[in-house]
Amino acid sequence: MIVEYESKPTFVHRLDPRVKLVWMVCVILVSVAWTHPLYLAALGLSVVAFGLVAKTPWAKLKGVASFMLVVAAIICLIQGATYSVNSVTLRDPERVLFHLVPGWVPGVNPLIPVRVGGFVYGIAMSLKIFIVLLAVAIFGYATSPSEMVQVIARIPFIPYQVGFVLSTAWKFVPVVQVQMRTLMDAHRSRGVDFEQGTFPQRVKKTSAIVLPLFANSLTMADTMALAMEARAFGHSKRFTFIRPYTMSTGDWAVLIASLGVAIACIVLMVTSRLGAI
Amino acid sequence: MFQLATEIISLKDVSFTYKGSKRKALNGISMSVLEGECVAVLGPTGSGKSTLACIMNGTVPCFVEGELAGDVTVDGLHPREAGTAHMASRVGLVFGDPDTQLFGMTVEEDVAFGPANLGLSYEEIMRRVTRCINDMRLTGLEKRAPHRLSGGQKQATAIAGVYAMLPKIMVLDEPTSMLDPEGKAKVFSIVRALKEELGVTVILIEQEVDDIISLADRVFVMSAGSFALSGTPAEVFSEPEKLRKAGVRVPHVVEFGQLIGASSVPFSTEDVIQTIETGTWSMAAPPRDPVAGQPVGAVSEAGIEPARSASDPDPLPDPAVGEPVIEVKDLHFQYPSGAKALDGVYLTIRRGEFVAIVGQNGAGKTTLTRHLNGLLRPTSGEIRVLGRPTEGVPTTELCAHVGYVFQNPDEQLFCTTVAEELGFGPANLGVAPKIISARVEALLSDIGLAKYSDVWPKYLSKGERQRLALAAVVAMDPEVLIVDEPTTGLDWLESRQILDYLERLWRQQGKTIIIITHDMNIVSLYARRVVVMANGKVVGDGTPQQVFSQPELMAVACLRRPAIAEITDALWGEVLLTPAAAAARLYQRTSSHAEVDQS
Repeated sequence: MIVEYESKPTFVHRLDPRVKLVWMVCVILVSVAWTHPLYLAALGLSVVAFGLVAKTPWAKLKGVASFMLVVAAIICLIQGATYSVNSVTLRDPERVLFHLVPGWVPGVNPLIPVRVGGFVYGIAMSLKIFIVLLAVAIFGYATSPSEMVQVIARIPFIPYQVGFVLSTAWKFVPVVQVQMRTLMDAHRSRGVDFEQGTFPQRVKKTSAIVLPLFANSLTMADTMALAMEARAFGHSKRFTFIRPYTMSTGDWAVLIASLGVAIACIVLMVTSRLGAI
Repeated sequence: MFQLATEIISLKDVSFTYKGSKRKALNGISMSVLEGECVAVLGPTGSGKSTLACIMNGTVPCFVEGELAGDVTVDGLHPREAGTAHMASRVGLVFGDPDTQLFGMTVEEDVAFGPANLGLSYEEIMRRVTRCINDMRLTGLEKRAPHRLSGGQKQATAIAGVYAMLPKIMVLDEPTSMLDPEGKAKVFSIVRALKEELGVTVILIEQEVDDIISLADRVFVMSAGSFALSGTPAEVFSEPEKLRKAGVRVPHVVEFGQLIGASSVPFSTEDVIQTIETGTWSMAAPPRDPVAGQPVGAVSEAGIEPARSASDPDPLPDPAVGEPVIEVKDLHFQYPSGAKALDGVYLTIRRGEFVAIVGQNGAGKTTLTRHLNGLLRPTSGEIRVLGRPTEGVPTTELCAHVGYVFQNPDEQLFCTTVAEELGFGPANLGVAPKIISARVEALLSDIGLAKYSDVWPKYLSKGERQRLALAAVVAMDPEVLIVDEPTTGLDWLESRQILDYLERLWRQQGKTIIIITHDMNIVSLYARRVVVMANGKVVGDGTPQQVFSQPELMAVACLRRPAIAEITDALWGEVLLTPAAAAARLYQRTSSHAEVDQS
């Protein structure tokens, strides 16, 4: 997950996990449907507001955000240089904003024009990615993996083992991360400098931890399997530890608002191009 | 008194060979356990204890394949035919490492995991969860994520998870091997509750003989797949020589009783004190060290008798302590998560010292020592190694002076052969190939792995892997050697091999040794200085005698002093570290009293 789950006494945390899942799916669907940056920005702000209610630790998203800014810049430039937009809202989508190879370079004519339509479309694409990442991050941060298992266990035709495997994999990630750090520390303690050398040399040094990491993970998985067997895993065909959820007024409100707004937005987008670039 | 009733476990001439192995893990063993009994199984690593545990619930051979011969009956069923899942509600199996047996995202969910697998109703599951959490003293932690619990709480959760299936039999396979003293105490109190309050039949596989002696109704000692000894604790612990031969540590109280010629085998400190006070012992001559087989000479003022090591019965004297090699001043450290791990540590370690850093989990021991070779950098404060500040000096340079051996050997062995592993560090430091070859050869012989030089380290036993991990750091020839929990998960013989090797490095090569340990028996046998940590601070520092003489300090650090220290403190108001030293002191005291009486 982008942000690890944290238990906090917020309205969003208290929401029924099914409602949070519906909210997330609605946000993703609307962000996919809309192509206008202003509409997407408004959607993004609503997601941020939801995140504020959930007291999302924004600092933990800093790394992803910085990386995404670079990705967004690349997307905008590529779209601006290559994509020709058929816009219903932009006056002159073909207007050249600037050239990737500028004209002031001595002896070089301006090359690769970046056009308004493509550039704006690039901004919209980047916003879509931001919104999806943000919605997934807020969902993951405010919904415990066990709640997710509970949601999966309620879906007919999906064996409960699927939910269990997902939650176990979830738990396994930090364990493997700790192991990886220890292995790297053990290498450093025996004179290996991961920061020194050419790129291939550094890749080679780092790849040396793969074998022990893999072997240790297998050993751990083996022991876990033995312990699971000893606790009758797979003995029953159905998972019976399903908590009785009751929908609160807040749950109903968020559910109806999410579904209502999403359906309205998509219908308006399809029928009258509201939200299109 | 719980009334012993019917036979609940019956093993008749049982043998088992793992698939692909030629050696029998179990070799014709027979045992009978009565309902409500607490049976302890002791023995060195690889003696077949875990295989025995897995046979009882059918994981061997249903899940772990191999050839099983003989008759196994558990609660009227044959586990092989009934299958593990069916046996799970009759036999609960708890393993040593709690991290690999906790599956829920919260304590409550983990405890519910087993009953849910049995297909019980939600209401019934919750009834059992509430009861087990209460019985295992986990109330208040229901919603806590298991990975955020202490070691003892994790293992209590694992036990609760198994107990929630309401088995008649609980098999606990070294449940305290990964825990600090506080965690161990918690687990033993739970085992006692299982036996005495809940009437569960308990099979307890353990290395902690001091706790077992007063807990078990019967004891089985395993060696090479067979029972070397069996009987009541009184019967088994009356045979200390056989216990030693089987690789089991003899409890201090028993060893002391043997040395002073006690009329009956003592099982507790109270028994020993009563034996001394009533005079039901006879020691005609100065006691002989039962391990080294040599007479225990006059005990020094510090209470240390000279001969302590079986492998080195005539050791060199303690090396002289020299100039400071490690200086830590006002060290503070905070993890990125915000957790404060060190809170103003001051510490100076001099060349030639043998230091044990002790304290409960989370006291800051590992965080402190990881600063000494630059793996962690101070939030504030200063560290000097060999007089030089470590600021700006990379770990790759510091490791030439300060060697660091991690707790888990599997996280520090990465080469494809044993010999390659030993040469890895020196090669990174730019040591000449000829010198590396010579060091590797010498080390292979020192750690007893010469015949495995071309073997993949993963194929070695845990004790061998631990020795290899240690030697791989020694190969870099550092002046200071830090060893984090060198004996975790090892049996007593393996632990002594590791510590004897460290002692040789200290005495013969003048290395400065720093060990982090929870094992106070190891501290009393090897350390010359003990640094006690609690809440990110050094709260005590002195010789083992000085530290063990401060019960309040031990309580603050959640540590328990060795039984012999308790006894000698109670008897004479002085702390002695080994049964041999205590016996010698008793001999000295009675001889001098006799002389006074004669004169």
